[in-house]
Amino acid sequence: MKPPAYLDYAATTPVDPRVALRMAGCLTREGTFGNPGSSSHDYGDAAQAAVEAARAEVAAAVGALPADVVWTSGATEANNLALFGIAHYYRSLGRHIVTLRTEHKAVLDPCRELERRGWRVTYLDPGRTGVLDPARLALALQADTVLVSVMHVNNEIGVIQDLAAIAAVCAAHGSVRLHVDGAQSIGKAALDFTRLGLDLLSLSAHKAYGPKGVGALLVSRRRGVQLEALQFGGGQERSLRSGTVPTHQVVGMGAALALAAAEWRDEVPQIARLRDRLWAGLEALGGVLRNGDPAHSVAHLLNVSFADVEGESLLAAVRPFIAVSTGSACASAVQEPSYVLRALGRDERLAESSLRFSLGRFSTEADVDAALFALEGALARLRRIGGAGQP
Amino acid sequence: MLYNDLTRRHFETAAHAGMLTGPEVRRGAAGSRAQGTWVQFDVRWRPDPPPRALAQVRFLAFGCPHVIAVADWVAQQAVVSAPLAGLPESIAALKDRFAVPTEKVGRLLIIEDAWIAAIAPPY
Repeated sequence: MKPPAYLDYAATTPVDPRVALRMAGCLTREGTFGNPGSSSHDYGDAAQAAVEAARAEVAAAVGALPADVVWTSGATEANNLALFGIAHYYRSLGRHIVTLRTEHKAVLDPCRELERRGWRVTYLDPGRTGVLDPARLALALQADTVLVSVMHVNNEIGVIQDLAAIAAVCAAHGSVRLHVDGAQSIGKAALDFTRLGLDLLSLSAHKAYGPKGVGALLVSRRRGVQLEALQFGGGQERSLRSGTVPTHQVVGMGAALALAAAEWRDEVPQIARLRDRLWAGLEALGGVLRNGDPAHSVAHLLNVSFADVEGESLLAAVRPFIAVSTGSACASAVQEPSYVLRALGRDERLAESSLRFSLGRFSTEADVDAALFALEGALARLRRIGGAGQP
Repeated sequence: MLYNDLTRRHFETAAHAGMLTGPEVRRGAAGSRAQGTWVQFDVRWRPDPPPRALAQVRFLAFGCPHVIAVADWVAQQAVVSAPLAGLPESIAALKDRFAVPTEKVGRLLIIEDAWIAAIAPPY
């Protein structure tokens, strides 16, 4: 039996073979295996040079300075470092943070924890499109607001926030810092850290054909952003993130982001064509609703609610044929409707019966057609079993 | 989520899904689609004198794979075992047989309610 067509690139991507090759060169005795912190011999110096080259690649991919880059284990750690680091460093200036209801849990859960520790957090509702109105942000800012945290590309619905407008609101307010979760941005949407005037930017490698287990928090030197560290023991990464830097991981991230920066403008139109083919096919099946604002979304992601079917059954029915994500959180045995889709105003049933299709560098028309074939059969069968049209 | 073989088989085939028609058909339903689980059974009794036996059972179900699988199994088993008071097996036994998570046991109760409504006298 053929393996399921992979349509879950927003969850993770396979490592690009060109990236894997670069990583492999840092693992064995013949390669750059040294500890980049070991400055007493050539092995360490070679590793350090590889780490710094990777730092420059990551910075160049998003218009930042190499010195802005702080390596982390991924975007979740980067988000935690940004939120807790800013909150604690600037606590004498204020204890108010603004974010969106549709953020990733890697931002929402730290915000909840900060609330438990005495900070106040305003969770803005982005409305039906998922795109934040900057005027709403301006109204939410208070005299003691120290941080605004927004996701550039939403991981569930793919909408792109207007970072320039958001940054302008923050700049007009004064001392508030702007953190952007850019985990889904690389290779999908233009993002220039310096030009936009961002203070902090979280990045992940594995969403962009790099390895899992590595990411970065960009902390703007030009803008004089300060953080309190969360981790101690060696003083690496400007003392913001102690611990031996994993050379092969950061080299992989550097290679992946360099490739993305070089190729994304060619990739996006191809992926958009596949996305349009998928949406046209889904629309023809009937009873489908597109989530998010298509005019302000990345090409890679299509989130669709299916009427008259139960979400868990739909996912189970298509699972042998396609790998997609449900719009539900599966932390427990009973699926919960997506909080992102609920924030957009979808009712519980439609939020629960949604699927996220995410396309990527290696997606093909055959993958899209496999999805349409699987869904056509599953929807017809489940709607018949479910008595669609019955009172 | 992973399902055991029995659940997967009945979910994938759902051989007894459908409706019955005719004056001798009794229908029972429970739950609601808006709440996420709805089940309907149609039963046709044999015209023989008592003890009564079921000739045919069909179901419709809006719900998770466990709900569809258990409803299909009940429709299959009922004709064989001719239960006149309740489901062919207890809720606890069905939970074990289909490896239904504890959080979903309430959905089995909806199946039971639909079944009891379908087979309730008068036949």
